[in-house]
Amino acid sequence: MGLEIAGLLHFFGLTGFFAIVGTVLAAWMAWRIVEKAGFPGWAGLGAVLLTLTGIGSIVPLILVWVFAYMRWPRDDAALGSRPASAGSPASGYAPPAYAPPTHEPKTLAPPPMALADRRGWRLAGMLANGQSVVIAIDNAIPAYVVSRAAAEKATDLSIPDPSVGQPHARLLTAGPRLGLEDLGSPGGTFIDGARLLPEHGPRDITETRMIRLGTVELVLSRT
Amino acid sequence: MIAWLLSLGVLALIFLFIGHLLLSLLLIIPTWRICQRAGFSGALALFHLVPVIGSFIVMAMLAFSSWPNGEARQQGR
Repeated sequence: MGLEIAGLLHFFGLTGFFAIVGTVLAAWMAWRIVEKAGFPGWAGLGAVLLTLTGIGSIVPLILVWVFAYMRWPRDDAALGSRPASAGSPASGYAPPAYAPPTHEPKTLAPPPMALADRRGWRLAGMLANGQSVVIAIDNAIPAYVVSRAAAEKATDLSIPDPSVGQPHARLLTAGPRLGLEDLGSPGGTFIDGARLLPEHGPRDITETRMIRLGTVELVLSRT
Repeated sequence: MIAWLLSLGVLALIFLFIGHLLLSLLLIIPTWRICQRAGFSGALALFHLVPVIGSFIVMAMLAFSSWPNGEARQQGR
């Protein structure tokens, strides 16, 4: 064995010996890599052996690029067998397999009729003097007037703060919905930070989280 | 004369270094993708920057370790 190696060293020189070892190693590894991707192993071997031909190393370089971006048989095979959680975001080549249903869909009973949402509304906040204010709004009353003055009627809502107008705004209820209309108050009315002007008319605040009347911020919630 | 030779040598080294970087880049880009498809970190492809043995290290990693994203041979079993 030593003689053979010595012969090789003499025949090719030290550099040639390492080149042969490197080529054999590369060919072996390329064989294994392309096999793992689902290609026949000789394809990888051939790609590496091309470096020994007159074509040089440019063709294997191109083949590496082609190999990187082409479709691998492994991915095709994985489509039908891999569970949905097996694909990683980095790979992006094995989307979750679609398993067609093996049974007929059952006829389900129709859903029960949805009950009307009869919950009221609640506005809660803090006045400038540190006093808290909680206002309950009943859906049964179609309109409320919000004012700084004390409430005299059932449709009056009082917020005793100097920044609140007299009257300031109107709250409108319509079934499960709640509306707000500014009445030209100098302190201003804001819906989630956006200014509401009188010319805007009533605005739906059903999905709103917070309104501001003057400097009083009120959190809107369902009772 | 010696200074001239030295500067020539430095210039040659610089060109060699730049050439190595360019060639490495040509290999790093596809290898990065191959590593990611295999389930490894793409940064493994940066081994190409190591002169002479860098490519062998990357190939050995891909060839002799099991791929986290699965292999064709495993699926066939």
